[in-house]
Amino acid sequence: MRNSLSLRFWIVLTLQVVLILAVPAQAVYTQMNGRSLVLQTAPVDPYSLFQGYSVTLGYDISNSQNLLNLPGWKDIEAKRKPERQLSADDASSKLYVILQAPADAGSRPPKPWKAVAVASSRPHNLPANQIALQGSDRQGRIHYGLETYFIPEDQRDDINQQISQTHNQGQGQSSKPAFVVEAKVGADGNAVPIAIWLRDKRYQF
Amino acid sequence: MASDKFRQQLREEVEQWRSQGLISAEQSQQLAERYEFAKLDGVARDRFIVVVLGIGSILLGLGVITFVAANWQAVPRELKLLLLLLLFVGVNVTGFYFWNQPPLPDRQESGRQRLGQGLLLLGALILGANLALSGQLFHISGSSADLCIIWGLAVLGMAYGLRLTSLGALAILLVGIGYWIGVSGSDWNNPPSDTVRWVMHQMPMIAGLLFIPLAYWCRSKWVFGLGAIASLSALLVLLSRFAETFPSSFNFYGIWLVLIFTLPTAILWSYDDRLWQRLFSRFASESPLASEPQLNAETQYFRSIAQGLALLYLMVVIYGLSFHYVWEDNPVLAPRTDQAGGLMTVGWQFLLNPSLLFFVGLMVVQWIYLARPRRSRRWGLRQNDGIMLVFLGAIAILTFWHWTIAPISAIATFLSNALLFLLAVALMRDGLAEGQRRSFWSGLTLVALQILSRLLEYETALLLKSLVFVLCGIGVIVIGLWFERYVRTLRIASED
Repeated sequence: MRNSLSLRFWIVLTLQVVLILAVPAQAVYTQMNGRSLVLQTAPVDPYSLFQGYSVTLGYDISNSQNLLNLPGWKDIEAKRKPERQLSADDASSKLYVILQAPADAGSRPPKPWKAVAVASSRPHNLPANQIALQGSDRQGRIHYGLETYFIPEDQRDDINQQISQTHNQGQGQSSKPAFVVEAKVGADGNAVPIAIWLRDKRYQF
Repeated sequence: MASDKFRQQLREEVEQWRSQGLISAEQSQQLAERYEFAKLDGVARDRFIVVVLGIGSILLGLGVITFVAANWQAVPRELKLLLLLLLFVGVNVTGFYFWNQPPLPDRQESGRQRLGQGLLLLGALILGANLALSGQLFHISGSSADLCIIWGLAVLGMAYGLRLTSLGALAILLVGIGYWIGVSGSDWNNPPSDTVRWVMHQMPMIAGLLFIPLAYWCRSKWVFGLGAIASLSALLVLLSRFAETFPSSFNFYGIWLVLIFTLPTAILWSYDDRLWQRLFSRFASESPLASEPQLNAETQYFRSIAQGLALLYLMVVIYGLSFHYVWEDNPVLAPRTDQAGGLMTVGWQFLLNPSLLFFVGLMVVQWIYLARPRRSRRWGLRQNDGIMLVFLGAIAILTFWHWTIAPISAIATFLSNALLFLLAVALMRDGLAEGQRRSFWSGLTLVALQILSRLLEYETALLLKSLVFVLCGIGVIVIGLWFERYVRTLRIASED
């Protein structure tokens, strides 16, 4: 009886450790084997900008309005209709955004990639300068798993200030604010944020 | 072994007795050997060493923690994760080691076991911190509902493994918090993942299947109560979601309300451990249930809690229904044929929700089991069960009629007040018959609550209000005192 209790304890403990390690497992795999990608951020609701230690990031491809004119959107709309009738309000549908690398890849800060098409299933045989990014559409806002970035406490205020400065500048001018995010995308379209660029400084945590 | 203090006092007393000649030198020697007086000094020194070691190790631990906190930023990511894991494993292993000590014939044994249990609980909390931090280190945007539910399920695994009640209760609480966060939609920024969303949708059944067996495994009434509450409140959420999702002109709205008001009580009241034991003994011949024959004496282990919860819910429902504004809501009702048509076409996929089917089926099976012929009697319910069935039927008919067939506000208000009064009287009568304080007092409270709420609800003169308050106060005191004396005489009579 005592031995079986010990055995059960060790088994459960091992499973719990595996669970803890499983949380970042996919992110680590993506980080090691994924391709690098740069995305343009869009201003996010300032109230939720900083929650605790994290920055809430929004992208110009997060807003489904910006994707309406891209080729492939009509197919997605057509496939989505029958599900919408009675499903619970929180159903989400997957889509893939295909992004193309900018012409000059070596500038600092790096130029963001542009969205060129959308697809409802993972596209194969993309040319070398295009990547497919997986997102889930929740009522007009598309989540890519890149919406949170954690900043250590001592640098939080500094970075917060810089972000609001760039956003204020961006509102006055027509050019986009110089705040881009570097991410790595795996072969299945899952992405993990790596670093953020504020003007020409790179922050990686 | 007697306590140290006693032995110390005894040693002094033995000295005195010997000097006064009450006992001989040989007897005092025997006493000294029996109670090990010689070891008393050693014990004090050992305890001092233990305390010193304890303080020293606490200081050392604080030093390590402070050192880590100071250099936390500089530590690379993978090392942080490793440190967290080491902390988690260390706390758990230490806790298990202490908790698993073989019971010594010593007073310190229970202290060490309690320390072990405390450390295991701490380990469970550190598990949650680990999950959150490992997500944070790698910038994974997760939702709090996800975190809480996965955390709760992991702790549940440990509770099953170790048969600990405290871990089981913690697990149920965590899953409950995660569920309510997810359901209330307060985490719209970070909604739960699809898997967790599916789990939340099936929560009534999952909660029932995971938590109730744990209650049997740990033999704990708390776990049973919490598990039943968790499972049935999830069922209520499911039912109210159905009621909302249907467009209001197409639904048999009344059916959902009937289910919301009566299903939990019906399931809980008819709960019978024997039903599950028969199931268990067929599946697991090595479970603790089958291997302990004395369980036959306590076969209705959880039935009293289930019935208590059933009565509580019934009281709350009828009390809520006794307010007239609940019945004022006059919905625009589509003609019944339209309603039936709407239900048949659109509602099927909802009706086929496994949780709903399972619980309705369970209720039916349990009531049939209650009514089964016992010994030589025919099919029939016992008196209490029959009364409960009448109550539930009355609520069901009232609700269904008002919301689906035709609104009957005045009649419904009056009838539900009558039901409330009858319930209170039934409880008091039960309390009197068995000398049970709890039933009687709850019945009395219910009557008082009813009178007071009606008074405050309808516009009456202040004078009347004060009169009623005074009468109620006097009535409660008088009846309460009379009951207490009655119970005492009842007990004396039964002891003769």
